[in-house]
Amino acid sequence: MKYFIRILFTAFTIFVSNSLALAEEKIPVFPATPVDVYTIYASLAIFWLAIIGLIVVIKMKLNEIERIQKLGIDKEDKEAPILE
Amino acid sequence: MELKLIWLKCKNWIEERYDIAELKKLAKSKLVPQHRYDFLYYTGGITLFLFVLQFITGMLLAFYYIPHVDFAYESIIEIVTKINLGWFFRAFHHWGAQLCIVFVFIHLFGTLLVKSYRKPREFIWVTGFILLVISIFFGLSGYLMLWDERAFAAVRVATGGAGNLPVIGSFIKIFLRGGTDVTGDTLTRFYAFHVAILPVLSLLLIGLHILLVQYHGMSVPVSQENKQKKGEPFFPNVFYKDMMIWLVVLGIVVTLAIFLPPEIGKKANALAPPPEGIKPEWYFLFLLETLKLFPGIILGFNGETIAIVCVSIGIFFFFLIPFIDRKSNRDEKSPIFTVIGVIYLLYFITMTLVGYFS
Repeated sequence: MKYFIRILFTAFTIFVSNSLALAEEKIPVFPATPVDVYTIYASLAIFWLAIIGLIVVIKMKLNEIERIQKLGIDKEDKEAPILE
Repeated sequence: MELKLIWLKCKNWIEERYDIAELKKLAKSKLVPQHRYDFLYYTGGITLFLFVLQFITGMLLAFYYIPHVDFAYESIIEIVTKINLGWFFRAFHHWGAQLCIVFVFIHLFGTLLVKSYRKPREFIWVTGFILLVISIFFGLSGYLMLWDERAFAAVRVATGGAGNLPVIGSFIKIFLRGGTDVTGDTLTRFYAFHVAILPVLSLLLIGLHILLVQYHGMSVPVSQENKQKKGEPFFPNVFYKDMMIWLVVLGIVVTLAIFLPPEIGKKANALAPPPEGIKPEWYFLFLLETLKLFPGIILGFNGETIAIVCVSIGIFFFFLIPFIDRKSNRDEKSPIFTVIGVIYLLYFITMTLVGYFS
């Protein structure tokens, strides 16, 4: 019985120490609290919306520039009278 | 209204002193060729944008990083866990570096396949190639900054590999390590490379590279010379397109940084055995897989040395392509160099994938 308890105790010690080793924490490289995680994902979604919005604005501006260039009215008219 | 007035005053102040109108005229008169492969022109802009992002995030990280063997690892943990948005900027710097090297490779192989290196643009190729080498060394030196066991083992292998080069190998190894093994001296040395020497070199070379591109103008592939449309003004047309692409790239880097922040391993220990299944960064995998192809001893010579010499010859030939490809220099089609380019590309991709999945 004595030996049995000793073996049991040894097995328990090995199990606990190994469990602790397995549970050795990884260094957190990303915030873990739910509030932070929610804020980050919400910010990312807003960030992408802003990017898409900016792209749309730039594209509209580019289309306008191309339209003006096609009409040829973006070039300086050298014969235009100068207003003094 | 007030702001507009201030803006106008500033504009006038500058215009009185510098000929801005002439610069504007120059930017508007610069035309970018339009053809089937003109998307390749944007890869250079993306690389430049990523370089700028790396500089900015690198500066932010440098405020908190301690380049000392006893504190480097701890300072990174502090950046990641205690500093406001430290985890984000570290992850951003990591993914920015990965994408930067990806786009340097895309830019390089794009240039190779459409023969943009041909006369008189050989020097643009040379500066671009050196920038690729610098980018890779940026990656390697930045990897060691973490001072965890993976970084330690990877730098030991990489510098050890360089040491296998005949004649100069041992000098390179000792010069890079600052001694015979990877120690705190290596960390100090790599930090100096990463934050001082390489940024200055890359700034100079990027400046020269852009200056040469402006001087020679954009190259048009031989096959497209008769098919190209009228050139598009760089400013504002191409610049606006560049901006749209940069915004998407920025979004991708931010998303990767949030969803896949790089892990931190155990602190480096010179006496501990290297961790199992260790692999270098992805851009070194093709080298590692190539080295594995060679047996230990070949005709009584060290197989690793022969492998390193063969790889070096292959890279040197790649570097010399603009000077060897005479047909392209005469503006003739040179399919043999297209095939060589495709072989290089396929070899690089295959060996990288083999290394990644093995």
